[in-house]
Amino acid sequence: MIRNSLNRIWVLCMKNIFLYIKKGPVLIFGLMFPFFMSLSWVIGRNISLDQVFIGIIAMTSFFTATAISPVVLPIETREKSLERILSSPISLNEILLGILIASTLYSLIVTSVITILFMLMFSIALESLLVIFLMFLGIALMSFLGSLLGLLIAANPTDMTSNVMIIVNLVKFPLLFISGIFIPLQNSSPSLIFISFISPVTFLTDLLRFCVDGSNFFTYHFNVLMLILWIIGLFIVTYVLHKKTMPKRLSEAGKSMKKMMMMKKNM
Amino acid sequence: MIKITQNQNLNTDSVAINASNLVKEFGALFAVNDVSFKINQGEIVGILGPNGAGKTTTIRLLTGVFQLEKNAKIEIFGKDITKNPRRYKKNFGIVPEISNAFSDYSVWQNLKFSGGIYGISKEKVETRSKILLTQFNLIEKIYSKTKTLSKGLKQRLNFCLALLHEPPILILDEPTGGLDPLSVKLMRTQILQLKKEGKTILITTHDMREAQNICDRILIMNRGKIIADENPNTLREQFKSTSTILFKIAGDIPVEQEHFLLDMFSITKEKNGYYQFSSFNTLKDMSKLYKVSKERNIKISDLKVRETSLEEVFIHLIKEDIFVNKEDEKND
Repeated sequence: MIRNSLNRIWVLCMKNIFLYIKKGPVLIFGLMFPFFMSLSWVIGRNISLDQVFIGIIAMTSFFTATAISPVVLPIETREKSLERILSSPISLNEILLGILIASTLYSLIVTSVITILFMLMFSIALESLLVIFLMFLGIALMSFLGSLLGLLIAANPTDMTSNVMIIVNLVKFPLLFISGIFIPLQNSSPSLIFISFISPVTFLTDLLRFCVDGSNFFTYHFNVLMLILWIIGLFIVTYVLHKKTMPKRLSEAGKSMKKMMMMKKNM
Repeated sequence: MIKITQNQNLNTDSVAINASNLVKEFGALFAVNDVSFKINQGEIVGILGPNGAGKTTTIRLLTGVFQLEKNAKIEIFGKDITKNPRRYKKNFGIVPEISNAFSDYSVWQNLKFSGGIYGISKEKVETRSKILLTQFNLIEKIYSKTKTLSKGLKQRLNFCLALLHEPPILILDEPTGGLDPLSVKLMRTQILQLKKEGKTILITTHDMREAQNICDRILIMNRGKIIADENPNTLREQFKSTSTILFKIAGDIPVEQEHFLLDMFSITKEKNGYYQFSSFNTLKDMSKLYKVSKERNIKISDLKVRETSLEEVFIHLIKEDIFVNKEDEKND
């Protein structure tokens, strides 16, 4: 029973990776955005290499994680392939996990490659095996957490990818700005530190600071715990919302197509 | 008003689907309103109805896509699936009207995906795929991307995907809609072949001729309810007293005269130039038409009387249902 369920999740995950990795929104928001944002942040500023390293890893991890998970359901609603999945012996949990694992793997691989390349290029050495483990644990947790955040926003039962991506970006940027990537928590006021708790990126950034230069504000235990708590909370909310909105998706299917046809006719 | 009761001549031992009290509300609208029906094993049952009648919602309830309300119950081969519809989804093979295969996957990748979801071994997926693709003349397109296939070829792929896991029940949602005559013929042949193989088939269609030719029984739905459940021939038999009178008008006819005629007999004008109306008393109506046309100096030509088709029975039942509903609303 569990083996069959795991097998279905893996089949769904492979489908999601194969079909959505090359989609426009995934390439734009997952790869191009963090690249250009990092460039605009670094160029012309006097920032230490350690700070750049921490910022780039945190941004890449967060951006790539929120790239695949929001687009799968709107596209499948529009193409009606979601109905095919829903009428197969697959549970809602399996559908959501298929998306989450695909999105997490994508983010984890891209961020890990960039991290290793950066470390090799700039000869960044980490102190111990524990530090290396904690850094990749942080990246893995953020990959899963970001995927959950994207999937949560995709609970809006629309079949238009752009509608979901607008909300994802509206949520993503404020979370990034209050996370301590650009202004370290040590230099922030108490009210800003309090606000930074709203962003899960805060805890990844702080964990990376512990791993890279030891300039962390919280303990690494606390950061890992907070990331896990965020994951649990988001998972519950995501599941409840999708359970509620999934049947509404089927009545959404084809609506945008009809609107486009009407617009073409009126033109 | 002609009352049609639900078909009770079913042997309960061989009932494949037994659905009772199906309900689905979208806000204030009842898409499916207390629908109950039984389908025998090996039977082809057609669901007919205008757009928005509740056909697709009924299918979605049946296949577990929509959750069932408290009083609803579905039995598949005598087993209650209400509590765990997911476990019994393997019993269904679904062919939708519009292809829902992954468009960026090839034919083979789509079949492999379905095999994975239904837990079929790789060897069996390969063997079954080859058989099905050959049966539906799609073997040459095995490595073509689904989005490059024509509508007819996509529909053949849908049949292959629905049959891959060898389900005992097939649900076809307007499977021949928008297909060319050759593809329609192939689909019909395949459907009848599947019936021979013992499959139970539930088919929704707008094509009355198709329903008349291939269905053992017909359910007519309107406004979320079943308003008729009969064998197509019995259904026509019940309306045998009805006929359709067709005629043409020679020369030009003033608009007022035409309106008078249309209103008097509830006549509809066809694209081929024929005027037609249903009649319960052919002789009386024909003589009335003759009398009126003579009085008003309208020259009638090409007068014909035709036996009522299933399509006309369908239209009659739907109109009658709408009329009854309006009367009920007035009384309320």
